[in-house]
Order: sequence, then structure tokens, then C-alpha cells
Amino acid sequence: MTPVLQRPPVYRPPLVRPRTGRKLAGVATGLAVHLGMPVKTVRILLVATAFAGGFGVVLYGWLWALVPSAEVPPLSAPATQPPPIQPQPSTVPPPFGAAPVPPSGAAPVPPFGAAPVPPFGAAPVPPPAAAPTRGRVDLVAGTLLLAAGVVLLASRSGWPVQPGLFLPLLIVGAGAIIAYAQFDEVERARWARRAGAGTGPAAILRIAGGLSLVVLGLLLLVVRGIDIAQLSRTLAAALAVLAGTGLVLAPWGLRMWRDLDEERAGRVREAARADIAAHLHDSVLQTLALIQRRSHDPAEVARLARAQERDLRGWLYGRAAEDSSTLAASVAALAAEVEDVHGAVVEVVSVGDRPVDDRTAVLLAALREAVLNAARHGGGSVQVYLESGPDGVEAFVRDRGPGFDLDAVPDDRLGVRESIIGRMERHGGTARLRSDPGKGTEVRLLLPDREEAHS
Amino acid sequence: MSAPPRTRPVRVVIVDDHRVFRSGVRAELAGAVGSGRLEIVGEAGDVEEAVAVVAATRPDVVLLDVHLPGGLQRPGGREVLLRSGPLLAGESAADPPVPPVRFLALSVSDAAEDVIAVIRAGARGYVTKSISGEELADAVQRVADGDAVFSPRLAGFVLDAFGTGAGEVAAVDEELDRLSAREREVMRLIARGYSYKEVARELYISVKTVETHVSAVLRKLQLSSRHELTRWAADRRLL
Repeated sequence: MTPVLQRPPVYRPPLVRPRTGRKLAGVATGLAVHLGMPVKTVRILLVATAFAGGFGVVLYGWLWALVPSAEVPPLSAPATQPPPIQPQPSTVPPPFGAAPVPPSGAAPVPPFGAAPVPPFGAAPVPPPAAAPTRGRVDLVAGTLLLAAGVVLLASRSGWPVQPGLFLPLLIVGAGAIIAYAQFDEVERARWARRAGAGTGPAAILRIAGGLSLVVLGLLLLVVRGIDIAQLSRTLAAALAVLAGTGLVLAPWGLRMWRDLDEERAGRVREAARADIAAHLHDSVLQTLALIQRRSHDPAEVARLARAQERDLRGWLYGRAAEDSSTLAASVAALAAEVEDVHGAVVEVVSVGDRPVDDRTAVLLAALREAVLNAARHGGGSVQVYLESGPDGVEAFVRDRGPGFDLDAVPDDRLGVRESIIGRMERHGGTARLRSDPGKGTEVRLLLPDREEAHS
Repeated sequence: MSAPPRTRPVRVVIVDDHRVFRSGVRAELAGAVGSGRLEIVGEAGDVEEAVAVVAATRPDVVLLDVHLPGGLQRPGGREVLLRSGPLLAGESAADPPVPPVRFLALSVSDAAEDVIAVIRAGARGYVTKSISGEELADAVQRVADGDAVFSPRLAGFVLDAFGTGAGEVAAVDEELDRLSAREREVMRLIARGYSYKEVARELYISVKTVETHVSAVLRKLQLSSRHELTRWAADRRLL
């Protein structure tokens, strides 16, 4: 590609026909949004060119047929830019330089230059990973312009232009581009159908449209100079041949398709099985081996079994990805840690959830201290209840241990007094201890939300 | 236990596909069996067997594993409940009256879908397999007396599903889609690890009243059309 003017990567909405604000089919509105021009200008241009040889009408109809109807993505949405698309082995390699359509259709436009017209059929500069929908449209428009230029040049240089030769070629080319460019969309529609979503008949319709254009163009090319009656007969013959071929090849194609489908499903099953096997090996089998080696130590065996159970449970019921970004997940992680270290059973019940921030982090720290205390002195079983409500967070830690008297705890013991009560009170919360000798201890932590605390 | 003393032991059927686990439960319940509180009258290992054994023995309580092999639907425990449907009601008009067969779900799984599936199919409670033998015997007794059994986790799930954590409280007790203030208190205490007796003492009410509240919550859980509940069910085509 010749060096092009480097221009800043501007966000340009993909060419779609917006559902709102359209007069007829939304072509002019969509074009205006896409090109960043006033709608009125686009409409005037379209009308003007419509009188200039009908070009505007053709362009309008063409775009109507080709451009998908969609909501216009908000201009201020670059935050939702998809990451650069990884090369996907499963997608059909787009021929004719038709760029892969990004999944969201709202990709930012990379500095693609002023889109110089690539020679037809030659791949353009390898588009940056995420080439936009626009690339396709530019390509089409460019092809048209190039063709027009060639014709103009040819006629100027005295070479007799034969519209009868030129037009069919153009139609064939356009049809091919349409059909190929839609392949991505069909591929995606199929995946969507697998996932239970609706089908995309529009994409298939467009492929059919592209195909008929190609056929029409080829026919025009072949039957040049033949009159209408013969043309229709030829057309019928061609259709008959096509239909016959399709009929013969259909079972074969269908079987191929089914085989491919089965093979793909098999691969997915195999991958899932391998995944499970790998996980079981890394976790359960290892733990069982450890348990056999430590079988003389019942406490250790119980601890290992409990940790493994928790891990497997999380994996089976989808709680494996325990990040610490929410309160409930953090408390679960905290409980797991205490279980591992102290060999106590910590059962956590969470109601509601909220993200961890500076204040809930304080509650977490106090809760951790309370759970640790309960695990150390509480006789092996700790019940944690966490409720994230609209007004604040409340947490209870209960054990069934011997209980103790807070006043009898010496002042220099930092555990309860400082780490739990002091910490909560410094941050606008409260901590209450209740201990029934012989029945157990319960710590209640309450952290009202700030607005509530100040009102 | 505040229920009137029973004249005969509670007849129990254990349904679980693992023989080791069934014998484990038997061993756990041995104390209660020895003291004449319980009597184990049958065992079953899959859906078909369970339906047959329950119909043949008409026990008071079925300890039901949620995930069972056999049958046509998943989870299998739910199918056992559905196919034993007529037995769940009992026949109070008959002479002598036929007591209903009550189900207590017992499972390692504490996934919300499993809980909702068996509870909505008619189970009177849900306990996880980590429960101790003594607690299990108590739970069986309670279910046999027509009460509901809620573990802390189930109580937490109820609070979550009814939006109670978010402050939704029913104005009248009869409202099916929300908990009343009292029911919420009871559920919270159970979620905090309190036994029914401790809940009663904490709220200055009788154990019988606690049981009434818990049964009311169970009924709401079974009949409510709250979308949190129905969505889980719909996802698994349970409705």
C-alpha cells in the first residue's frame, strides 16, 4: 500500500440502518451517522445522484438490501471496545479482502488510512486485527469507483467500452463480495442458534442475494446479444441445471455436515472429560494419596478431607472462581483459610452481597478475628451468618464452645477488645459479644452504611 | 420436642444410591433406633426401587437423596416425590386414618436448584449429609410430626430468595411472595445456627410457635411465584 495519510484513530460507528429516526429505510440516516455528515446533506446528495443516471436510486436500494438494521451504538461507547480479535481458526478466511466482522459490530476504526482502492481481488493491506464493518463498505465503494475509473480511462484512451461486457462483470463482482462478506455473519448465526438464540435469516437472505447477483451477471455475460425470449429460456435451463445438481449433491452435503457436527460435539465432550480428569487428578487423587500417608493422624485426615470437599464443591457448583471482590466471596475465602489452619468446621451462610470497599474491609478484618477466636476456643464448629442489606452489613459468628466472660479477659489481651470491638467502633460500626457459659459465644458485627450513620 | 409422645417408633425408609452411605445413616441412627424412637423399614438405591419401597411400606418419613439414578427426570429425588404424590397427603377420612408419607431431603449438594427442586415437589425439609446422627434423628422426628426442617443454609437461601436481605417484608402474614417480620426473625436465627429451642428462647415464644412459623415459610417456599424461585425452577424445566 502506498503511504497514506496517518490520521488519528477516530471512532466511526459501523454502517447500520438505525431503527429510529428513519424516513424510509434508514439508509440516509445510517450513512450520515457513519460518515459524520448531516442527514440533510446525505439526502440531497442521494436525490441529486438519483437524477444523475439513477445512481442514487441504485445505491439506496442496494444499501437497503445490504446494510443490516440495528440500533445505533452510542458514540460515547469506546469503553466497550472489544479486545483485538484473536485469529479464529474456525472462521472462514475472508476472501477478496473482506474484513472479518467484529462480534459486536462496534469496534473502533483503526487508522485504516483513506482507504485507497485496492485492486479488485487483491487482498488489501493486512487489516489490523480488528478490521471494522466499514472496511467492507469501503471496499465495495472503492471497487465501484475503481471500475468507474477504469471505464472512464478506457473510453478516454479511445478503447471502445462495451457496457454489455462491463456491467455483467461488475454485477458478478458485487454479488461475490456480498456473499463472501456475509460468511462471517452466517457462521455467527449458527453458533447463536446452537446456543438457543434465534436464527439469522437476514444473513442467509443476503447470501442468496449475492448468489443471484453472481448468477445474473454470469448469465448476462454469456448471453450477450441474445433477445429476451431466449434469455428467459436460458435462465430456466440454468436454473434447472442448478436445481438438479443441488438435488444430487444435497444428501452428500448433508452427510458431510452431520459428520462434521458429530465430530465437533465429540471433541467438545472429549475436552470436557479431559478437563474433569485433570481436575480430579490434581485435587482429589492427590488428597487421597495424602490421606493414606497421614492415616495415623485423624485430625489431619479430617482437615484434608474437609479442604478437599470444599474445593470439589466449589468446582462442581460453580463457586470455584472465588475472587475477593465481593463480600460473600471474601468471607467464604476467609472461612476456608481458618478451616485449613485450625481444623475447625466453619459454615458460612450469606444473604445478599456487595463489593468490598474500605469500610467492609474493616468488617472483614474484625470478622476474621472473631472467626479465628471461635475456631480456637469454640469446640470445632463455627457458624457464620452474613447479611448485606440496603442499610448496611451485619455479621454473626457463633460457636458452641465453653463461652467466656468478657470482663474477665485481661486488658492486655488485644484479641477481642481491640481487634474486634475497637476496630468496629472506630469505623462507625458496633460489635457485641454474647456468651452463655456452656452454650457458646456469639459475636455480632454491625456496620451501617455511612448515610445511615450520619442521619 | 414439644410434640406429643408417639406411641410407636417413626418408620423410616432410606433412599440413597450409595450402599456405603445408607449403612452410614443406619449407623448414625442406631442410637435412636435402639431407644425405640425410630425404626428403619426399608432402603432403596434408585428411583424405581424407591417408589416401589415407599408404596409398599408406607413409612412415616423417607430420607431422600436428591441425586438418584434411574427414572426419567433430574434430579431423581424429585421424581420419587412426584410419583409418590398421592401418598404425601395421607387419608385422614379412612378408617383407620392413613398417615401421610413425609419426605426429608438429605444430600451432599447444597446448590440452590436442588433445594428448590425437592422442596417445591413436596419435601418437608432439607439437610446436608454433614449433619450429625443426633441432629438427623431429631430432624426425622420433627418431619414425622408434620413440621419443617430448615438447616442454616436453607434458611439463608430462603432469606435471599424472598429478598428479605434487601428489606422486603410482607405486610400481612398470608402474602406468599414475602416473609413476615416474624418469619424473617426466625429464619435469621436459624441461619445464625440456632436450634428451634434456642430460637424460641431468644424470641420469647414457644417451640411450637417456631415450628408454626417455619412451616409457614415452607409453604411459601412451595407455593410462591416469586421470580427468584420460579426462575431456578424454570431453568431446570421444573414447572
